Amino acid sequence: MAEKQLTANTQAYTGSRPASMHKTGMRSLFFRRNLYGLFFVTPAMLFFLIFNLYPMLNGLYLSFTEYTLLKPPVFIGIANYTGLLDNKEFLNGLQVTAAFVLGTTIPKWLLSLALALLFLRPFWGRETFKVLYFTPTLLSAVVISMVWKLLLNPNGLVNALVTPWVNRSEIFWLAHSKLTPMALMVVDNWAGISFFMVIWIAGLVGIPREFYEAALIDGAGRWQSFWHITLPLLRPTTLFVVVVSTIGALQAFSLQFIMTRGGPSNVTTTVALMVYNYGFNYFRMGVAATMSVYMFVVIIIITIVQIRSVRSEETSYT
Amino acid sequence: MMTPTTSRHSATHLVTRGLRNVLLYAVVIVGLLVFCIPVYYMATTSIKAEAEVFAIPVHWIPHEFKPQNYPEAFAAAPFARYFYNSTVVAIAVVFSTLFFSALAGYGFAKFSFPGKTLFFLFVLSTLMIPFQILLIPLYVLVYHLGWTNNYAGLIIPGALTAFGVFLMRQFCLTLPDELLDAARIDGCSEPGIFWRIVLPLLKPPLASLAIITFLGSWNNFLWPLIVVNKGSLFTLPVGMTVFTQPMRAPYWTYIMAVSTVSTVPVVVVFLALQKYFIQGVVLSGMKG
Repeated sequence: MAEKQLTANTQAYTGSRPASMHKTGMRSLFFRRNLYGLFFVTPAMLFFLIFNLYPMLNGLYLSFTEYTLLKPPVFIGIANYTGLLDNKEFLNGLQVTAAFVLGTTIPKWLLSLALALLFLRPFWGRETFKVLYFTPTLLSAVVISMVWKLLLNPNGLVNALVTPWVNRSEIFWLAHSKLTPMALMVVDNWAGISFFMVIWIAGLVGIPREFYEAALIDGAGRWQSFWHITLPLLRPTTLFVVVVSTIGALQAFSLQFIMTRGGPSNVTTTVALMVYNYGFNYFRMGVAATMSVYMFVVIIIITIVQIRSVRSEETSYT
Repeated sequence: MMTPTTSRHSATHLVTRGLRNVLLYAVVIVGLLVFCIPVYYMATTSIKAEAEVFAIPVHWIPHEFKPQNYPEAFAAAPFARYFYNSTVVAIAVVFSTLFFSALAGYGFAKFSFPGKTLFFLFVLSTLMIPFQILLIPLYVLVYHLGWTNNYAGLIIPGALTAFGVFLMRQFCLTLPDELLDAARIDGCSEPGIFWRIVLPLLKPPLASLAIITFLGSWNNFLWPLIVVNKGSLFTLPVGMTVFTQPMRAPYWTYIMAVSTVSTVPVVVVFLALQKYFIQGVVLSGMKG
């Protein structure tokens, strides 16, 4: 009994201070204990190897092939890559996606930050308002699409509220080459703002009050405090909001798929929707994989640029 | 705020403060209407008569109270089955994510073994992979494994997230070594320490992770859409879109009834675990 306790003791001792091991017995105990660590992470590592790393590499390989799932992939070199650059539909998809990214990121950043700043001041009923503002975040993309399809119906609520003011009997929000992309952007903003609002609030609450008090003593105004204290100290939050919203927008799929099926005449066909169509309607897995790779490259470049630009401001301040 | 004492009680100051409050509430209430009217309209449409849906002037409150829409909608398509599928998938995904994330997070935080840093960097890098990139090759993999059109295909590819592992590792780093060593002295086995000491201590972050994972699984659309095409395996989001195929005449009251039903579990989780919910959102914000 006493001996067992002693071994356990040394095991614990070597566990926290591996450098002090001298005897081989201790070493093997320490080694055996740490084997458990390897054992604990093994399921996760296997999972990521099989369901992340392998598919990624296989996707890269498939992008150089012609593949219909039924027959083995046929290597065709860079034909998919060059073919897509001549594909009008793909170029259109890139444009549609780019417009969607612009229309759903910048307004989201600004509006969610403005709301977060609003919720920073104490006022009666603040917590209740905050919770109610959060409702869109709870809805699934499918529910959001369904509800807004109903609201934007030619006879729907939006037209009931809007048409009396613009002297039109009905507006086809979801069947108009100019209005439809914008309508989807508005819906996406509506759905995403409150999530980022909560993120901004968490970031803002983390800024120590003393900074503002010091600035006030130095005679700084509201805007000066905002520009010189709030924004620089919010940089990690800013980076998150900017990167996550952009990556999400670059992969936009659900609203387009459910509300418009990419229409009318492809004005809402994003690249992600094309990947789906090529992969699962035309069974051209190779081309679909190539579009994914193009998208991945775009996502990486944009993310790096965003990280650099948010960080480089940092150096100019400090 | 910190205004100079001289102006604190002056009339002009009170007036500007009053105006400012009016403006504040005006903005907050407009925001409230914008965010909540669509949801309110969803819930009220679900208990309207179909003829009322596009009535002018708008029926803000149903004139004909028709809760039968709910049983009728569930009779019109196998939504009960879809609801069941969504539940099974979400529960399986949540429990597997919690268990394996905590296990791996603990392994990364409290042990040293060859390759640890490399492995952890690998986990971190998978955190950055956008799902769209995996879509095609992951489907090809699942297809070859024979998992299309069964629960395995719906559950296993989402059964663990790099975010979960990362989150659990961060929390395990804060656990005191002395506590674990004390358990070792008492003769507790390593798996026993994980199960009886580490897991209970991880409850708060596990609750947050559970909520994020549940929300992600319950609302997931793209993956279940491609991995099953057999009606009996549809999850709720997929079943709902099939119900509104372009060729079919949409029964808006039914669609809104099903939308409401599919939102209820999320709202219940949100209200019951609000603290963890917001924390979870904020934690998911920290991963960047």
